[in-house]
Amino acid sequence: MSAGVMERTASPSRPVSRKRRPVGKVVVFVLLLAGGLVFASVFLYAALSAVKPADEILASPMRWLPSQWLWGNFALPFEQAPFARYYLNSTVVGVSVTVLNVVTCTLAGYSFSKFAYRGRNVLFLVVLATLMVPLEVIYVPLYALVFDLGWVNSFAGLIVPSATSAFGIFLMRQSIEGLPDELLEAARIDGAGELRILWHVVAPMMVSPMAALALFIFMTNWDSHLWPLLVGNDADHQTLPVGLAAMQANNLGSGGIPMMMAAALLALLPTLLLFLVLQRKFVEGITMTAGIK
Amino acid sequence: MALTRTAPGRARTARARPPGSGGSGWRRRRDVIGLVFALPALVLFAAFAIYPMLRVFQLSLYDYNLTSPPVWVGLDNFRFLFGDERFLASLGASLFYVVVTYGPAVLLALVLALGLNTRMRGSAFVRLLYFAPVATSWVAVSVIWRLVLQPEGLLNQTLNTDLPWLTSSTWAKWAIAIAAIWKEVGFFLIIFLAGLQNIPKDLQEAASLDGAGSLRRLRYVTLPLLKPITVVVLVMAVIRGFQSFSPQVVLTGGSFGTEVINLFVYKTAFASARMGRASAVAVLMFILLLMVTFVQLRALRKSA
Repeated sequence: MSAGVMERTASPSRPVSRKRRPVGKVVVFVLLLAGGLVFASVFLYAALSAVKPADEILASPMRWLPSQWLWGNFALPFEQAPFARYYLNSTVVGVSVTVLNVVTCTLAGYSFSKFAYRGRNVLFLVVLATLMVPLEVIYVPLYALVFDLGWVNSFAGLIVPSATSAFGIFLMRQSIEGLPDELLEAARIDGAGELRILWHVVAPMMVSPMAALALFIFMTNWDSHLWPLLVGNDADHQTLPVGLAAMQANNLGSGGIPMMMAAALLALLPTLLLFLVLQRKFVEGITMTAGIK
Repeated sequence: MALTRTAPGRARTARARPPGSGGSGWRRRRDVIGLVFALPALVLFAAFAIYPMLRVFQLSLYDYNLTSPPVWVGLDNFRFLFGDERFLASLGASLFYVVVTYGPAVLLALVLALGLNTRMRGSAFVRLLYFAPVATSWVAVSVIWRLVLQPEGLLNQTLNTDLPWLTSSTWAKWAIAIAAIWKEVGFFLIIFLAGLQNIPKDLQEAASLDGAGSLRRLRYVTLPLLKPITVVVLVMAVIRGFQSFSPQVVLTGGSFGTEVINLFVYKTAFASARMGRASAVAVLMFILLLMVTFVQLRALRKSA
């Protein structure tokens, strides 16, 4: 699991077939590239529509390039909708949920892998079992609970129920398990308490899985729509997906298309950039959820 | 796992009990500290996963509107659902969505993975083109696809048609499936690529030395070894499929035969304030997903 998808394919793999069928390979590659460009054309179309004058967007026959490049369209979501507020809310919720997950999952992962208390394995199994149940199945009673707690339309409602994850605990347990016990014993002999060991011995060696976890949680949370719609639907607590969907609903058929395209692109940009920079970690995160080691 | 680093030499000797540690009592104290480390996660789980999960079964037997106390109705919620055309239609819409979106998406991902699992200049770039939609958000993607699917949008203009993708019962469910395939292919592609790289290269080479062509190697070496991953992918595909919510909300609002289960539950619970009835749907969904997962896992065990 240490070497991600990206890295491993970069090493010479099958020189035999490569030498034998160079032409076939090139044809396959060109087909794959063409398909990839078709995929990417959707982004390009959205980006160009965001800077077009409104009346050129649905012109027929279609023209890719705008007659004038209206970069100012990217300011529209901030002027005509509380877009900065959505952004801020999404960032606050995303960062809090991510930090909380890294902390709770690392603690639990350390606990489940390096201590021998009674019931440990049963507790871990219960946690794993919840991996099988999608949030969608429980969101009605979960909402009722959050409602009773008075957390509807609050950041607590948006953050606390997502503050830990079965996937994260599983990931951290698997990672910390590989850490030699001798290392922990050595620290104990030196008189270090368990928290100190976690902070100074375990955590520094777990930077990589923690980063993979952080990325995966942040991206998942940034995409989250249904739960924020339930517990954060007042003006002060709407996140990007909720706000964007509301903007779309209020703009049906009107001249707001450049604004909507600009807003959509701005909304997907942070995770897309994060992914481009840290793709290996993200791929690790996904393949870990799929249980591939 | 990745982390099998060697301990410093000194640590070897530390296996013995630390001096003055007082034997098992000391150990027990340490294990209690270990349990405390798990507490934040366990408390959160108990409150926000286990408790709601148990409660959903209980609530499914009540009539409950959140503000007044729940009223016991027994199996009435379930009885109502099985006679409710709208519920049955939403079940059908979800099944359609799962099959028509995730069938092609998984197949396409497999084909792409087989093609991209080679060393080629530029293949990292090509992979990125397919991965990119995975790293975006569903609502943003749906907003973009609303434009793509307009009568004068990218899709119709490219295909030289003028289909009413989003405003007809014939096309709307297909339109959402197309957008969803675009969004999800990369996800399964990542998993398949990881799976392919775990197949030992020497098996391929041995088969190739025995004179097996690339199609035979695919049929008799690669695909059988990929089976466990394929089962994982299919289980995830079904679960992801039944979770669908955002594209239906943004693209059609659930009109034109695209009201999937999740949207039905959302409307039942929060627009009509029928929490009990919505919980009954959740219970049925839970049982359905459990059955699907179980069948798929059995299929895996048989083939392994």
